[in-house]
Amino acid sequence: MDLRDSYRNATRAILAARMRSFLTMLGIVIGISAVILLLAVGEGSKRDILAQIQGSGSGNLFLTPGAQSSILSGPRATRDTGAKITMDDLKAIETKVTLPIVVSPANTIGIAVKSGTVTMAGSGVFATQTYFEVNNLQIASGRQLMASDVNNRTRNVVIGANVNTTLFPGGSALGKLIRIKGMSFRVVGIAASKGQSFMGNADNSVILPLTVGEKSFGMPHDTITMTTIKSVNPDDSALVARQITDVLTRLHHKTDFSVLDQKSLTTLFSSAMDIFTTLLAAIGALSLLVGGIGIMNIMLVSVTERTREIGIRKALGARERDILTQFLIESSLLSGIGGVLGVLLSVLSSNLIIKRFLPTAVTTSSVILAVGFSIAVGVFFGVYPARKAARLKPVEALRYE
Amino acid sequence: MSTNLIQLGDIRKVYTIGGVTIDALAGVSIGIDAQEFVAIMGPSGSGKSTLMHILGCLDSPTTGTYVLKGRDVSGLKSDELASIRNRDMGFVFQAYNLLAQMSALENVMLPLSYANRTVNVGKRRAQELLERVGLKDRMKNRPVELSGGEQQRVAIARSLMMDPSILLADEPTGNLNSIGARQILEILKELHGEGKTIIYVTHDESIGNQAERVIRLKDGLVDAAKDN
Ligand SMILES: Nc1ncnc2c1ncn2[C@@H]1O[C@H](COP(=O)(O)OP(=O)(O)OP(=O)(O)O)[C@@H](O)[C@H]1O
Ligand SMILES: [Mg+2]
Repeated sequence: MDLRDSYRNATRAILAARMRSFLTMLGIVIGISAVILLLAVGEGSKRDILAQIQGSGSGNLFLTPGAQSSILSGPRATRDTGAKITMDDLKAIETKVTLPIVVSPANTIGIAVKSGTVTMAGSGVFATQTYFEVNNLQIASGRQLMASDVNNRTRNVVIGANVNTTLFPGGSALGKLIRIKGMSFRVVGIAASKGQSFMGNADNSVILPLTVGEKSFGMPHDTITMTTIKSVNPDDSALVARQITDVLTRLHHKTDFSVLDQKSLTTLFSSAMDIFTTLLAAIGALSLLVGGIGIMNIMLVSVTERTREIGIRKALGARERDILTQFLIESSLLSGIGGVLGVLLSVLSSNLIIKRFLPTAVTTSSVILAVGFSIAVGVFFGVYPARKAARLKPVEALRYE
Repeated sequence: MSTNLIQLGDIRKVYTIGGVTIDALAGVSIGIDAQEFVAIMGPSGSGKSTLMHILGCLDSPTTGTYVLKGRDVSGLKSDELASIRNRDMGFVFQAYNLLAQMSALENVMLPLSYANRTVNVGKRRAQELLERVGLKDRMKNRPVELSGGEQQRVAIARSLMMDPSILLADEPTGNLNSIGARQILEILKELHGEGKTIIYVTHDESIGNQAERVIRLKDGLVDAAKDN
């Protein structure tokens, strides 16, 4: 049977039971939309994070204790190996690196910030006066932390824009006291809103003098978990990284630290995000599976209903493979159309609705993957019903009422 | 070896249902020559349809041999049987068996879909066949829009599409009134005149008597006494 005929027949059969075909397709539509949307959210978040890494200043380098392989597994790995970065290390870097740099050490912990009866969760960043320059953090009102705050262990803090609006709705926290861990801190500056950064949401941060962490928050002695080093001339950053590595290796007698530039950080995060995205897509694929079972179900019903038609076709000379192809084309057409509708639905809802809450990016490859997958689902779940139809005995099919 | 077009040797068809066996055909041996015009008659349940199905390669016998055009077809695979049905057999059923979602013309062209070679004169031929059975103006109509007699004529046109040498008709007039029945019989006679081998089943003596030869079945056997 020629293929055009087959498609005409399949379309006719699908249209003959419009409502049923539509409901069957709906399963695939939903499955495909789920896959594409989850992929889109994964891809969107990835691009978002990568953009933030890129946005943190192209000359920035990130120095952390522990060799590179252990970085994504978190701080415990570094503690276990005993690797640490001390203030002396940083001083050595400042003096021995020959190119102009700015060094910003920081330790970050989760904290609860209180004012009166209002409490919010945020992150406490223990840092020095260089933090603001290196991270491009502008001050909206008040001032930055200064060297004297760090040296004198003052209880002065700079708060993120969100902390200000949450704790002092409609007002300004400047000069007021906030409480963290039962201690009072004076707000000396409020940062301009900056949004999410890969180090955390800067708007939910409270920036405290580095020295306060060790004294009042029980943080490990003389240990810096994340140091951002800005190469004043961004083009020099590769050279700076090499010099830092040399300096520290000589001091530590081994490479128990990592110097990451934007590129390696980007690679690290993209591979982590890809795993995350794949997991999301796998969840979406589950609903596609359910859609596929729906197709199988309806094709089985269709084969039973059309037993006589199958008998007639066989009497006229249809071979098993003719009947098999006929039903396979029908099921894959059902799922293929469902797939295309699913793509349309997901592109629309991604752009019109989800974009407002989550970063999304529908990629061409995810669309091709999803449509291909939907057709494959139709073929896979169509095989059993189609074989059942193909193997019917002509007489039995003709006698069927 | 016989030179008959069709030679059945001791054909049996046994159905077993719930431990009870039914001999739908209990050993039928008949030969039919090319261009014969044969009626098969007999009481209900005597095995007429079963015989027609075996003759038409729609079913295989439980035991026995079927030699068609000098070739033993009793043990053929389903694909080979399908191609015999497509090329050598035309079927006309009591219940017309047209596909409801297709027009008369599409129904007539249907066997072409399963032909080995694509016959590009197909549409033209289908139109000629419909014209020939007097349905020139009904080609675009779907079966529900046609009378029983008209549907049966579409079915005859369809059975002729691949120009088979044998036409099998199982009670082709069973659902029709006398006028419709006469038209169908006229067409069958005409086709016989053109050299086709025609085998039809009927209950109606007056219709059966118009054949050149009547084979009578009783309880799955040929009623030899009445064979003429
Ligand atoms: N699939 C089947 N399973 C079991 N028994 C069957 C089957 N098909 C036919 N039979 C039996 O075989 C016998 C012959 O049936 P067949 O249909 O050939 O009769 P028939 O002569 O065509 O009768 P009618 O004139 O009523 O159409 C009957 O007893 C019938 O019940
Ligand atoms: Mg019968």
